[in-house]
Amino acid sequence: MTANPDGCVLVAEGLGMRFRSPEGTITLFSDVNLNIRHGEAVAVLGASGSGKSTLLGLLAGLDQPSEGRVLLDGHDLSRLGEDDRAAVRAGRVGFVFQAFHLLPGMTALENVMLPGELAGSGGVRGRAADALERVGLTGRASHYPAQLSGGEQQRVALARAFVDDPRVLFADEPTGNLDRHTGEHIIDAMFALNRDNGTTLVLVTHDPALAGRCGRIIHVEETGLREEVAA
Amino acid sequence: MILALRWLWRDWRGGELRLLALAVVVAVAAVTSVSWLAERVGAATEARAADLLAADRAVERPEPIPDGWLRRARSEHGLATARTAEFPSVVVAGERTQLVSVKAVTPGYPLRGELRVSDGLDGAERATTKTPAPGSVWVAPRLLRLLGLSVGDRLALGQGEFRIAGVITLEPDRGSFFNSLAPRVLMPYADLEGTGLIGPGSRVRYKLLVAGTPAAAAAFTDALVAEQGNAVEIETPEGQGRGIGEVVDRARRFLGLGALLTVVVAGVAVLLTVRHYAERQVLAVAVMRAVGARRRRLTTLFVARLFWLALFAGAVGAALGFVVHAGMLSLVADLIDRDIPPPGWRPLVVGWLTAAAALFGFALPTLLRLRDVPPMRVLRREAAAGLLRAGVPVAVAAVVVFALMGWQAGEWRLAAYVIAALAVAVGLLAVAARASIAAVRALVRRRGGRLLWLSGFTRRPWTAVVQIVGVGTGLMALFLLAVVRNDLLDAWRDRIPDDAANQFLINIQADERVGVRERLAQAGIDAAFAPMVRGRLVALNGDPVAEAEDVPADDDVGRRRGRREFNLTWSAEPQQGNEVVAGEWWGAAGDPGELSVETGFAERYGIALGDRLTFDIAGRRVSARVTSLREVDWESFRVNFFVVASPGTLDGLPATWLTSFHLPDTREGVIVDIIRDYPSVTAIDVTSILRTVRSIMDQGSSVVELMSLLTLAAGVLVLLAALQITGEQRRFEGALLRALGASGRRVRRLARYEFWLLGGVAGLIAGGVATGAGVFVAEGLFGLEYPFRPLTLVVGAAVGVITVWAAGGLAARRYQRSSPMRLLREGAD
Ligand SMILES: Nc1ncnc2c1ncn2[C@@H]1O[C@H](COP(=O)(O)OP(=O)(O)O)[C@@H](O)[C@H]1O
Ligand SMILES: [Mg+2]
Repeated sequence: MTANPDGCVLVAEGLGMRFRSPEGTITLFSDVNLNIRHGEAVAVLGASGSGKSTLLGLLAGLDQPSEGRVLLDGHDLSRLGEDDRAAVRAGRVGFVFQAFHLLPGMTALENVMLPGELAGSGGVRGRAADALERVGLTGRASHYPAQLSGGEQQRVALARAFVDDPRVLFADEPTGNLDRHTGEHIIDAMFALNRDNGTTLVLVTHDPALAGRCGRIIHVEETGLREEVAA
Repeated sequence: MILALRWLWRDWRGGELRLLALAVVVAVAAVTSVSWLAERVGAATEARAADLLAADRAVERPEPIPDGWLRRARSEHGLATARTAEFPSVVVAGERTQLVSVKAVTPGYPLRGELRVSDGLDGAERATTKTPAPGSVWVAPRLLRLLGLSVGDRLALGQGEFRIAGVITLEPDRGSFFNSLAPRVLMPYADLEGTGLIGPGSRVRYKLLVAGTPAAAAAFTDALVAEQGNAVEIETPEGQGRGIGEVVDRARRFLGLGALLTVVVAGVAVLLTVRHYAERQVLAVAVMRAVGARRRRLTTLFVARLFWLALFAGAVGAALGFVVHAGMLSLVADLIDRDIPPPGWRPLVVGWLTAAAALFGFALPTLLRLRDVPPMRVLRREAAAGLLRAGVPVAVAAVVVFALMGWQAGEWRLAAYVIAALAVAVGLLAVAARASIAAVRALVRRRGGRLLWLSGFTRRPWTAVVQIVGVGTGLMALFLLAVVRNDLLDAWRDRIPDDAANQFLINIQADERVGVRERLAQAGIDAAFAPMVRGRLVALNGDPVAEAEDVPADDDVGRRRGRREFNLTWSAEPQQGNEVVAGEWWGAAGDPGELSVETGFAERYGIALGDRLTFDIAGRRVSARVTSLREVDWESFRVNFFVVASPGTLDGLPATWLTSFHLPDTREGVIVDIIRDYPSVTAIDVTSILRTVRSIMDQGSSVVELMSLLTLAAGVLVLLAALQITGEQRRFEGALLRALGASGRRVRRLARYEFWLLGGVAGLIAGGVATGAGVFVAEGLFGLEYPFRPLTLVVGAAVGVITVWAAGGLAARRYQRSSPMRLLREGAD
């Protein structure tokens, strides 16, 4: 374990990603350096296919970079195998996805219980119920995802993401499948989390409204990362 | 473990695992039903070996047992004794006759095992130590049913009149399992004389049963053999168990392999459903890994889930198997004249093992691939592409199938044969299915859009092949048993000419010949009589034939030659339908001392032209030389003999006469008359025996038909599993068609046509393959002309259409209901 530079929960050093393809090697990005402090809200913007999701995945330790390293809460992910990275993620990170990714066979409550059940921790049901209450879905606990609207599904996903009070919440276009009004609700909920629990937010988005509320805005471009200087 | 159970419940509730569980249930039901059936029938017939003999040892000979032997057994060896005499005869009740197997017994019988009787067909049975009282008989339940009699009625046996005083529910030394051709009549030994049934040359097996310590019993019989030599035959409990055990064992293996066919088909359903399930689990696994689940944790969860599923599906399947076995048992119950022991618990274990084999062999390999779902899948759909390749799971499944086959068949060679036959049948189905799809595709191309409904068929050719093969396998098994078997029997019956002999009269004494002939002539029947003497082959070219006991158990030829008594006849002319193929038939004058031997017989016993055979006939030695070999048409239903002697060879030996003729239905009374006047004559009604044989075969095959229904159920599950896999696609297509303006009705109609086509093709091919198998068996193995019936194909297609339509229509309904809106909403994941 390496100590992170003062208060940084997420550090990327010399991060690069390349793929082999039939047309030769494609470099998506290289030499990306990034420090994200605890409690910050960071928006990642970029054209479709620019590599935002890939970057998010690397920061969350879902994948290994071609070069460079990522320190998540002081753990050097590049030195760890799949399972050890999973252990680092457990209880530390939460995810919200564009397509919600709720498990269709489970009720809303059971979906929220999932991380706790996997970790084998106690009191899972109570914490999940609390989380659902915080997103205003207590009455929907026993509904299946198919019985919920898109906004409700995303709120369940949000509850699942923060039920174990993660250090970092990663969101990949969380409002991409929602109408504007519903999207606002989700955004409000996430920032409430950021404010109340000090949860670090890393959000990939197309939504200028969402980006506008973040303290930092990073553009993924062909030339590399470009950070907008906050107004 | 508990978490896995909870998740299993969630999967079940969500409908994810129902098909998978059903497939396992069907497989387990097939295996456990056979297992229970075999266990109970096996136990019923393999009752303690000594029981089968009703003694520790038995001495058999064709003459009554001398009193002196009994005294010796009792006083010198301290043995308990009983005497029995067993012979075929005919009982008369009113105007009806029935061939029976009579056993006369002295008090004390049985010395080992238990005799049980009841007071009526529905009466409670009880064990008894008594034997029938003078003037009364106990009879097998079947005799009462055949003759419409009940306890208390009277029947005639020869010149004796007997009251039916009890129903035999369990007879220890019943003899062979399929000895149900002639029902048993148990009578007092002391009444034997009064019936006049026994004359010289009658086919009576007299037995002296002894019991005490095994050593004493052996000492007694050894001493007797030393003194009597070939004139007595000793039966031991070991010798009795063997034959029956073999029949049951063979039936068990056959049914077991049938059950495995179901397991294999159900296994295909498992492979398909689990693949679908796994596909739907990929995202869930990715999400779980993203939130921090380790691979081992996920593996354990899946394995534990399968474990629970195996436990539950195994239990449900075993319950279903229990019901099926009860059905099978009731179909064959009256073939087993014995108590059927209560069901044991072992089939339950077998059921669970099957469930475990099905799930861990067919499902686990696919599920284990889920370990390698990259967590990046939550962000990039393509990340998990190509994860679930079928190669390894199919290979593992093949190994599991082979192992199961070997286990059921009890030997690897048989397993390999069965797999080969299965592969050929399935291969034929697959090739035919592929060909018909290619034909449909060509049709669609030629005729264009009007045949829109065929497009599903051609767009998913491999799914269609799997569906056709799955349903087709089940239908094929069903048709083979239900249709082809009947056709085979019909073909065989058609071969028998209408005027073929259907009645045999045997045991006619020389002085009764004229009278019997007259009776027949009065009824308009002109019958030829043949003489018959019974002898034992004791020497071949002067070399003594080995004593039965000295012959190693696996030397079949030696055993038969040493033990068996043969029927010999003499004749000046060769019998009708006999053809001399080697040597020459004796001239009209016919010098004594010549023999003509049937070719098959000669082959089996190692006899060649010119060999000198010596027979022991009623204590006299007769030698003669083989001067010709004959081929005999056994299916002519004429009286035929393996060994024919030239006239004069067998002079002065005790002979009885027999005759066969065609008895028209209207003349049956003549048999009753003859038996009344000549009680020792035994009438054998071939028609009724054939009917019995057929009904036994029907009973046996309805058991197998039940089994093939399970196979069909498994086939339908394959169909449903394939439907499930294509369900998403169907839903999409349905929504697309409706978005393009097609009515819901139209969409449903298109699906219906597709099912009809699918079922029709499957049924047609299955009917074709089954018919082909029938032709192969009939013409290749039995030399029968198989009646090709287009109707089989039509019926096959119809059954296929109905099955697939019913099953598929129900399952596919929800895919067609989806509204066009869903198409737009569900664009993403
Ligand atoms: N493992 C991979 N192999 C090949 N190509 C990849 C891989 N991961 C990402 N890509 C490619 O990189 C590009 C960026 O993908 P992504 O990060 O999903 O972009 P964004 O989220 O910004 O739309 C895409 O063209 C994608 O196909
Ligand atoms: Mg993306």
